[in-house]
Amino acid sequence: MLDLFDKIAEAAQAIRDQWNKTPHVGIILGTGLGSLVEEIEVEATLDYADIPHFPQSTAVSHAGRLICGTLDGLPVMAMEGRMHMYEGYPLKLITLPVRVMQAMGAELLVVSNACGGMNPTYRCGDIMIIEDQLNLMGDNPLIGVNDDRLGPRFPDMCEPYELALVDRALSVARNADIVAHRGVFVAVAGPNLETRAEYRFLRTIGADVVGMSTVPEVLVAVHCGMRCVGFSVITDMCLADALKPANVEEIIAVANEAEPRLTTLVKGVLALEQA
Amino acid sequence: MNSSMLDSRRIQEAYAHVQQHLKQTPRVALILGTGLGQFADRIENPVAISYADIPHFPHSSAPDHKGQLVSGTIKGVPLIAMQGRFHLYEGHPINDAVLPVHVMRKLGADILIISNASGGVNTNLSGGDILVMNNHINLTFRVNPQLAALTQTRNNIKSPIYDPQLIEAAMETGRREGFYLQQGCYVALTGPNYETRSEYRMVRKIGGDVVGMSTVPEVLVAHALGMRVLALSAVTNVAKPDALVETTAEGVIDIAQLAEPKLNAIVMTIVDNINRE
Repeated sequence: MLDLFDKIAEAAQAIRDQWNKTPHVGIILGTGLGSLVEEIEVEATLDYADIPHFPQSTAVSHAGRLICGTLDGLPVMAMEGRMHMYEGYPLKLITLPVRVMQAMGAELLVVSNACGGMNPTYRCGDIMIIEDQLNLMGDNPLIGVNDDRLGPRFPDMCEPYELALVDRALSVARNADIVAHRGVFVAVAGPNLETRAEYRFLRTIGADVVGMSTVPEVLVAVHCGMRCVGFSVITDMCLADALKPANVEEIIAVANEAEPRLTTLVKGVLALEQA
Repeated sequence: MNSSMLDSRRIQEAYAHVQQHLKQTPRVALILGTGLGQFADRIENPVAISYADIPHFPHSSAPDHKGQLVSGTIKGVPLIAMQGRFHLYEGHPINDAVLPVHVMRKLGADILIISNASGGVNTNLSGGDILVMNNHINLTFRVNPQLAALTQTRNNIKSPIYDPQLIEAAMETGRREGFYLQQGCYVALTGPNYETRSEYRMVRKIGGDVVGMSTVPEVLVAHALGMRVLALSAVTNVAKPDALVETTAEGVIDIAQLAEPKLNAIVMTIVDNINRE
């Protein structure tokens, strides 16, 4: 891990050459946040291919871009094009952009994902504010010799998602008449969807929703001292006793339908941030 | 050359180096975990061998892990202790992490006493307690490719992993010396982050009493090699997920040290039992 420090510095310098502001927020544009890009006043757009040590576009299924600009006046950096463990990328590579955003000055990480709902009180299309997480991916981006310049050997995880931000997001949701839950996200490696027995298992150990992303990025964000807020869009319900085959078209339709609500929540949470 | 041949050569070369420094054949192997390394100071006529000097030994990068083998005697019983171990979270391949167990077995040790620092999730436990491991749940997601080969060539693997007689010797020590001991189940995760509140709840729910980031890889190899295993877990804090407070590495090391006299008393009982054999 000792080579990461220099890689981060080189990547940050390449971005600063194009955009000299200090971001307050780093955003990972996961499922349901695609249209947030349209709200950003873009000042610089960098292809991952032009940023040293970023995952290269030849390897990324959809071209990765880093968008720098302001969102309602707040300087932000947003990652378009996310990588997943199930695509075969090492977690250290997947999470490098988070470290670069922090090195540029970002103190808050916003993440979103699509997930399967296991809590039976949830409905398809609902949004869950992530209150806590379980790592069942079988891997961890922090494995290796620790570089104390980047963060502590054993990062504490008693509050990976800032609970004040969870409350703030729930308050924004109430004011906008949006259904939002507070719950626990469990990450698995995938890529297969879970069996009924696995859904029962994950529910039993305390998870409300399940997905294949987010946890590595949040582990790294906590390691390097960032606050985090996370949003899950429940794109299909995964109730073990009434399980139907997943329909990709339906999942995408649900995610698209949730985009305006998620955008409202993120903008509402960020409106109270002081840059 | 396949990897198991490579491993047996690595074991042989590490063994040959350590062996030439030893004055006697060790009977007991000790792995001293976080906060418990000072136990090595109790070893009489000590000979210390730095990991850095042993061929194929990895380097220990964990805090409070000294990185040396100490051999000598306690009450006349020859033993060898690892002051500092290798964790999966340091990035060591599992074969490297368990290499010292192979070496200590080859040197002659047939008892392994292994210790660690852990977080309690069973609320009957308190910081400074020792949990005598009688079981574990392996959530490291790491496979030791050597284990299958060892298992095929040994016929003693039907014995319990955690030796009942050694467990009873430990429990008897607590009764005699007047400190609380409890048997229980250790859940091994890879780490290196401390657990989230949800992860502590999960560990409790699936049957764990304590959670840590070590021990299980070494124990599995020692058992497959026919060693009798006693595993002692120093509980550094009891996680209360409903009112969780921050965990720091320094606090963990400080409280683990409170358990050192108890570890010492248990080792003395086992040494006395060996002397009575």
